[in-house]
Amino acid sequence: MPKMNSIYTPKQAVITKIIEETPTIKTLVLKPEEEFSFSTGQFIELTYPGKGEAPFTPSSDPNKKEEFEVTIMKVGRITALFHQAKVGQILGLRGPLGKGYPLDSFVGKELLIVGGGVGLAPLRSLIYALFSRIEDFKKIIICYGAKTPQDIVYKYQIEEFKKPENVELRLTVDKADQNWQGNVGVVTTLLDNLPLNSSQAVSVVCGPPIMMKFTTWKLLESGFLEENIYLSMEKNMSCGLGKCGHCRLGRFYVCKDGPVFKYSEIKDIEDIWD
Amino acid sequence: MQFISYYNFRRFLERLSKDFLVYTPQFINERDYDYSLFKEGFIFNPYRLISSPRQFFTASSSLVVGYFDSKIPRREIKPFAIVGLKSCDLYSLKIQDYVFLEGDFVDEEYKKKRETSLIISSDCTSFKDVCFCLNLEIKPYPQEGFDFNLSDIDRGFLVEIGSEKAKRIWEDNKDLFEERKDLQARREEKRKKIIEDLEKHLSSLGLVPQEKLYQLVKNNHANPLWQDTALSCVECGACIMNCPTCHCFLLSDEERKGEYFRGRIWDGCQYKNFARVAGGANPLKLRAQRLRNRYIKKFEFFKERIDLYACTGCGRCIDSCIAKIDLREIFKALNA
Repeated sequence: MPKMNSIYTPKQAVITKIIEETPTIKTLVLKPEEEFSFSTGQFIELTYPGKGEAPFTPSSDPNKKEEFEVTIMKVGRITALFHQAKVGQILGLRGPLGKGYPLDSFVGKELLIVGGGVGLAPLRSLIYALFSRIEDFKKIIICYGAKTPQDIVYKYQIEEFKKPENVELRLTVDKADQNWQGNVGVVTTLLDNLPLNSSQAVSVVCGPPIMMKFTTWKLLESGFLEENIYLSMEKNMSCGLGKCGHCRLGRFYVCKDGPVFKYSEIKDIEDIWD
Repeated sequence: MQFISYYNFRRFLERLSKDFLVYTPQFINERDYDYSLFKEGFIFNPYRLISSPRQFFTASSSLVVGYFDSKIPRREIKPFAIVGLKSCDLYSLKIQDYVFLEGDFVDEEYKKKRETSLIISSDCTSFKDVCFCLNLEIKPYPQEGFDFNLSDIDRGFLVEIGSEKAKRIWEDNKDLFEERKDLQARREEKRKKIIEDLEKHLSSLGLVPQEKLYQLVKNNHANPLWQDTALSCVECGACIMNCPTCHCFLLSDEERKGEYFRGRIWDGCQYKNFARVAGGANPLKLRAQRLRNRYIKKFEFFKERIDLYACTGCGRCIDSCIAKIDLREIFKALNA
């Protein structure tokens, strides 16, 4: 009997490594059974067999083909199961889904990347993709905010983000501990005195809705154009294919037409930050 | 045109039963009909049934049986023939087809059901008080989207053949049909009559013309009417479950004896957790937002995506609403 493969069928992917990022965030390194590749910004549906699926944007380098990584914050039923998973366990994978970041349209520009909390996950993938062709971009400024120093993800490599000459990294925490030497305050406090031409620059924002809202307002105030602000919209998704109806945002489905949108495309839709 | 007598139509259904699961209308109370598996008698439904055809194509089902290394054979289901669809039902399949067949991802199960099933529709000879198809410029008699269409006439049906599949079936069963040239004029008279009666009924209701519906929703997102109306909603979901164009669903996984199953379960935007994300945020947390969402989806979203309203005027949402929320009245109030 041939296997019935439908658009809803997950492929296998085995967990090869688990990285504890913070007390509530883990990164799973996954090796898919079949060839799998994605463009940075595209997402996948990850299945806990027999229990359910949830959408995640891979946080790893899209140029790496053997394995990929997803960074998961424990917030609900399925993410709690992923947090209990062990190395060697088999999960299900559907994707890649949605549209990625339009990297080619960033060429020759100054880029501002703003991340909040676990929202750095898709942005890390973007950073890897940008770094692999770093000479294509004039300048990259990465601003990242976490609640406390303990909540910073990718601590073990975040310093690497400022290695290339044309990259600047700014970090902040909402609440410092005694060892924290850096900036204290929400991520928007990093957005003053940006050494770039805001009317020409592109910004990419990912984080909790409230962080994206205030970041977008701040960027508009600083002279960024609405069409140069890219936002990762969070919506409930089930199928990821534009069929199940959950993630409608105005005339769009976040899964099919996004998850990345220009602010200019969605600014007139009410409740976009809810 | 081909004609089939009531008696021969019953024999036709008996023959179809060999290759199809045949569903035909049955009385379920003094004024309503619903589908039931054909056994012997056949009852003609003068207007649309209680259930929409959606249940045949996307009802809760195991979409993916035993993903990964399953040994479970997939059960082959006999194709079905559905008798009694009306013009509004056929229109609704255009919306469902767009959702499940268009774009980069085709729902193979839906596609297979659409391809293998047989649709036998019929002209409305009467209508329910809640029917308002004409208001949406949908005629009360089918013009496309069927395999066979029946017009009730002279103790039988004038039959229009609407597909190659139907043509093949008709050829195999020619002995049950006869050519009748004299009935077509009577069919047109009957069709004219139903339009006149329905127009009269609808004009007494003072409905908003269809070309205004899109703007009325688009310009009234902040209208307090949503809140006022939603106060009486009990969130039972009858409007979404009975709507022929609603299509939302959840994928649901389970494990049975070491095998994994993924099924489709109908979901709908009137339920509180429809848009809730894992972290707890919910852009449709208020009943008023959810009520408005239903109108935005049907009259803005689909209009913008495929230039069709996702409303057939069947009135099932009105019929089934315990709070008596009436879509026609909402538009009248928005237009006031």
